[in-house]
Amino acid sequence: MSRLWSAIVLAGLASLSAIAQQTPPPAHNEVVIKNAVLMTVTHGDIQNGSVYIRDGKIVAVGKDVQAPTTAMVIDAGGKFVTPGLIDSHSHIALGDDVNEATSPITPQMMMIDAFDYQDKAVYRALAGGVTTSLLLHGSANMIGGQAIVIKHKYGAGRDAMLFPGAPRSIKFASGENPKRVYGGRGQTPSTRMGNFAIQREALVQAQDYMQEWDNYEAKVKLGNKDAERPKRDLKLEALADVLRGKLLVQIHCYRADEFLSEMAMAKEFGYKVRAFHHALEAYKVPDQLAAQGVAIATFADWWGYKNEAWDAIPWNAVLSMRKGVRVAIKSDSEDFTRRLNQEAAKTMRYGGATQDEALKMITINPAWIIGVEDRVGSLDVGKDADVVIWDGDPLSTYGVPNKVLIDGDVYFDRSLPGFGMPHYREGE
Amino acid sequence: MKPAMKLDFSALRRLLITAGFALCLGSLAWAQSKPVVLKGGRLLTITHGVIENGVLVMQEGKIAAVGAAGSVSIPKDARVIEAKGMTIYPGLIDSETNLGLIEISAESSTDDRVEPSDEIMPHMHVYDAFHAESELIPVARFNGVTNAVVAPATDDTLPGQDVFIQLDGKSAKDMMLVRDMAMPLNFTGQQRRSDPKYPSTRMGMAAQIRQAFLDAQHYAQDWDDYEKKKAAASPDDKKGPLKAPKRDLKLEALIPYLQGKKTIVLAAEEASDLQAAVALAREFNLKFVLNHISHTQGVLDYVASLKVPVIVGPIYEAPKPAERYDAVYRLPGELSKRGIKIAFASYSAHDVRNLPYQAGYATAFGLPYDEALRAITLNPAEIWGVADQLGSLDAGKTANVVVATGDPLDVKTDVKQLFIAGREVPLTNRQTRLRDQYSAP
Repeated sequence: MSRLWSAIVLAGLASLSAIAQQTPPPAHNEVVIKNAVLMTVTHGDIQNGSVYIRDGKIVAVGKDVQAPTTAMVIDAGGKFVTPGLIDSHSHIALGDDVNEATSPITPQMMMIDAFDYQDKAVYRALAGGVTTSLLLHGSANMIGGQAIVIKHKYGAGRDAMLFPGAPRSIKFASGENPKRVYGGRGQTPSTRMGNFAIQREALVQAQDYMQEWDNYEAKVKLGNKDAERPKRDLKLEALADVLRGKLLVQIHCYRADEFLSEMAMAKEFGYKVRAFHHALEAYKVPDQLAAQGVAIATFADWWGYKNEAWDAIPWNAVLSMRKGVRVAIKSDSEDFTRRLNQEAAKTMRYGGATQDEALKMITINPAWIIGVEDRVGSLDVGKDADVVIWDGDPLSTYGVPNKVLIDGDVYFDRSLPGFGMPHYREGE
Repeated sequence: MKPAMKLDFSALRRLLITAGFALCLGSLAWAQSKPVVLKGGRLLTITHGVIENGVLVMQEGKIAAVGAAGSVSIPKDARVIEAKGMTIYPGLIDSETNLGLIEISAESSTDDRVEPSDEIMPHMHVYDAFHAESELIPVARFNGVTNAVVAPATDDTLPGQDVFIQLDGKSAKDMMLVRDMAMPLNFTGQQRRSDPKYPSTRMGMAAQIRQAFLDAQHYAQDWDDYEKKKAAASPDDKKGPLKAPKRDLKLEALIPYLQGKKTIVLAAEEASDLQAAVALAREFNLKFVLNHISHTQGVLDYVASLKVPVIVGPIYEAPKPAERYDAVYRLPGELSKRGIKIAFASYSAHDVRNLPYQAGYATAFGLPYDEALRAITLNPAEIWGVADQLGSLDAGKTANVVVATGDPLDVKTDVKQLFIAGREVPLTNRQTRLRDQYSAP
């Protein structure tokens, strides 16, 4: 490159950086929400409280929050403010790519490859106050694949919607669905025995695969240059990561006996179950679940849609919680994800959960299931500024989000016309 | 009725009408044994406002008196229930359910919701299948729903005739208050069959419905002609007895609707389907109410111009991708604003208990609270022609009464007592039994 050209390019770069320096930071870098009833989740309610947000994080929460005058002020007008809601079981934004139902063991399926980030269901959940979701595979397969965790920053683009640094989760399934899908084709599994046999077989293969690699690496370490490198197998690699404890295991499971079988299988192979999903019979064996530290992500009151949902009772969440099980209320539905708050409030009626307990089931508890509890799920200093300002009491029939902030930025504002999304224009 | 039995048309018509409109509210054995008085509660009367510290007297299955404390005399032998702090309101009415037609959704052996072999099935009577002992009914009662329309599933254009039920009674017979009360005419597109089976388009659906009503008109005319001839014939006619037309149950079932004696529940979701269905109904002078109309936001003034009630929802129907998130949530408020009488339905069997929450949620999107409450009490009673007996706390009406801890529309409210035709119905069900079994120490 000639000197002249270099000079021009350097000058150009310099002027660009000068412009960048002159541009004031966007207003949303500092936000203060004041005059609110804060439902913090972790440390009770604060009347007439404020939340000070800087660079997308919560910097201060309380009655006497000192925020600089440059901060954008949102006067909550005495409304309730909660952390953004978290849905620990959702299938939105996946179109009809939820199940790779061509084999019962498909851990190599990566949800990210099917993420339809423009699905309006993401927006509609946002308008219902959901800021983080775990997008899971369906339950056709015993092992469906690897999930993704998203933030509902609709319009921000695919990569900006992925929850940075969220742990990897894998979806297992048991019970009626796999046996119906494969049994219906005259294949294994067609029984619960078949379900578990298939799962066990796959895990044994993963053990062998791990051993092969361990042997190889040991040989290399000893300086054996002729050691034959094993072939990489994506499927077994994913399962090996389960065995190594690198993946959070999320299991679709309804019946009490199957919780016990799944936990026995986990013990046999040395991995941990993070949560049972649906878990409608958790109330029958809550002590066993609590002892293993396995959470549940359940429905508030769905029942009777299939045989394994016939013993579902709306007291499941609270009865399990009282025995020490960590409980989340999840949607598993494009519809219910829009009203998770109302679903959680049902636990106050069925079993007498307190307001805090009910709110935990859609904030900090699902955050734990997803493995992001140190990042979101409560109004605490240092956490992501995912905040909902509500019209009405969120734990009632009438609670509807007025504004939803994610990482300190207003992504939904009910008072705006059209979609109510400040950063989104249809067709752009 | 034996198939071979001959029946002339006037008798047939009488039978249809008396069977259809016979109301049988409870039998003696199942009836309220002694007067019950609810004292000191907050009465949401629906028709004459809220009475704080009210008194409600139930006697012989009816509401005997309603009023403020001191204004109502309490019968001597009455069971008096202190209801201070409680909210008391009429039993809720769900305007479309599949109660008693299904038990476990995925198990086809428990599913009697619809006969999909043909699209025109007006001779399917819900009363023939209604399973009074369904485990779902006590669960539905748990939040104060006391009455419901039971309709077949919506896979057929004319799937059969509805029953209006009471959610308690000695038997199916007692629970079915109005048999063949109304008939759905579904025009949502879901009723299309897969090509090459007819009808695979909306055009086919409409043509098939039109043909069915034309055939029924023709059939009715045949019977009228026959009756006239029969009346005119002298007993010693040499030609022998007149031959009656062959009975056709399908066409027979359509006649009360063609005569405007019964209500068609006209279901459409899109504006275009709505207008096509209304045109079809008008072609045959059918008396109708509207159902669903979830995506008709663009033609609400047209809807208002029809001057018919609307069973609206479910408001949980997803909006179109191009629509704002609350396009369907706002619909009840928008309809109500235009003076349209609305009622809510759960459109469900398992989730009937959640009916009041739908009404409550609509208030967060513009529906006035009082109208929301009416839309699950008095409005449906009026729409289904039972307002003389149901839908409000008024003397003379059936004593379907809910005693709850507060606002009927809020999820946190607990129903404490439920009276159906004056009888206290235990709030136990399969789910409470499982709860008690597994939470016992």
